[in-house]
Amino acid sequence: MQAPTLPSPRGGGKRLAIALRLILIVAGLGMAAFLYAFPLYWLIATSLKSKPELYQSITLFPRHPTLEPYFSVLVDRGFWVLLRNSVIVCAATVLVTLAVGLVITYPITRLSVPPRLRVGVLNWALSLRFLPPVAVVVPYFAIVRTLQIYNQPIALIGIYSLFNLPFAIWMLKGFLAEIPLELEEAALVDGANRWTSFRRVLLPLAAPGLMAAATIVFTFAWSEFLFALILTATPQSQTFPVGVQGLVTQFEIIWNDMAASGVIAMSVPLVLMVVARKYLVAGLTFGVIREK
Amino acid sequence: MSRLVAELPAPTGTQPAGTGRRRWSRQERLAYTILLPALGTVFVIVTIPFVLAIWQSITADDGSLVGLRNYTRALSNPLFYDALRATGLYALIVLPTEILLGLGFALLVHRAVKRAGLRATLYVLAVLPLVVPPVAVGVVARLIYAPGYGVLNYVLQSVGITHSEIQWLSDPLLAMGSVASVDIWQWTPFVYLVLFAGLQTVPKESVEAAQVDGATWWTQFRYIELYYLRPLFLLILFFRMADVLRVFDHVFILTGGGPGTATQLLSLYIYRVEFRFFDGGQAAALAVLVLVAISILYSLVTRALPLERA
Repeated sequence: MQAPTLPSPRGGGKRLAIALRLILIVAGLGMAAFLYAFPLYWLIATSLKSKPELYQSITLFPRHPTLEPYFSVLVDRGFWVLLRNSVIVCAATVLVTLAVGLVITYPITRLSVPPRLRVGVLNWALSLRFLPPVAVVVPYFAIVRTLQIYNQPIALIGIYSLFNLPFAIWMLKGFLAEIPLELEEAALVDGANRWTSFRRVLLPLAAPGLMAAATIVFTFAWSEFLFALILTATPQSQTFPVGVQGLVTQFEIIWNDMAASGVIAMSVPLVLMVVARKYLVAGLTFGVIREK
Repeated sequence: MSRLVAELPAPTGTQPAGTGRRRWSRQERLAYTILLPALGTVFVIVTIPFVLAIWQSITADDGSLVGLRNYTRALSNPLFYDALRATGLYALIVLPTEILLGLGFALLVHRAVKRAGLRATLYVLAVLPLVVPPVAVGVVARLIYAPGYGVLNYVLQSVGITHSEIQWLSDPLLAMGSVASVDIWQWTPFVYLVLFAGLQTVPKESVEAAQVDGATWWTQFRYIELYYLRPLFLLILFFRMADVLRVFDHVFILTGGGPGTATQLLSLYIYRVEFRFFDGGQAAALAVLVLVAISILYSLVTRALPLERA
């Protein structure tokens, strides 16, 4: 890190002031780094401890690191089923959300429609973003039971798709608008119909954007907990976060298993984010902050 | 309510007035053919729950109309005001802390870190907490604050700051602090990212001119940078306020709303009324009240948000 480029104070004690400021900055950053990293370190450290070690006094480093807790969570407790459910639900959510998102964003970005319609659709999507899930939990619960899809993945897929649609619409709108209209028009002039030019020209060009949106929707769906808690009842359809919650609230908490489940839950989005990190902030702020 | 569900423009009334165009162009016709079924379906799926919520809120379990009785019960329940108080306190702790910390880091990195590689690293580090599932963050928080096995008490005791166990999760005020700290850990990076990106839009010339004129770091911030950050503060405040109303997962994991009702935020309260007290009518009334409140908030703020709507 370089010295701060601040206007240098005039008069004596200049060096001292700069040194003092530097020390304060470094101390502040060190503190921040510790508060940032320690929780994550502690989660991973606890997840690597063996059962006997839990019953001794707390150790800051695992004495005999072991992967046993992961095995215990995934196999002994059967959480691999929940993991599988999560993957199925999230993948299906991504497909539905992107398909519906494309159907809605294609006309408003690629066809000449009145600006009022475009703005109206975008505003409407934005308003959905601020819908507090807990406010619709009550009616959704009733609907899901009436449709007899309680405790079935399809209920979660539908609701996750709905709640991720605003992000998808705003992200896809941004990506599609950046692709020049002329490219598609050229295909149309060459005799291709709309569907062909969409499939052969637009989709390949929009692929990176679609991947980014897919990753982010997957991540959001992966983290969702409230609806999964309410709309599923058995391991056959529960998602992974519900399983994690079960480990936390059980009578006797097995700390290393709980920590291992936490690590598993966060590893998937963390890996995905290494791929899509550039787009996350754009997605979260509806395009106000663009990737550099 | 209307702002949330009825923003859909009337599909037939969208022709610009006075242009004299009678017929839609081929493109417009195609656009509506694609758009209307999709939008219509989504619109119906979104709207049914609202209608159902309103219906549930004015009926009893057996389906008989009870008028506004559910609302009066919801509003006369002291637990509702506990939940409002807890949500307000949570927001009052979380929002200023996150904004000040995020702003501080953004300014610091903007001025003190010039190396592109280091900035990119900080970007990645700041992105990571945003995608950690709140449930997992709740697990971490339990490992830190839990009585008996919490590492925070262990560290404090071995350093000698305290000799007895601090009840992080069973003292009402400390529990609120613990719950809020999780939010601060997870969302300060978001504020940092937004404000840091905003600082990059400040024109270099005006900063340099100010520095030549002898501006201190404070005047440079106060009179130049703050001007460019202002719309972003509004964005952050609104997004985060909407998020406070959604907070559920990590509180549910960490305290479950306790001790008593100290950390029972509005979302947890509604959950409890519906799934613990099995009082669907009252829960629906609360849901409608929350929807109305967020709609009012949304319609007040949305026009001012710096969003690219075109």
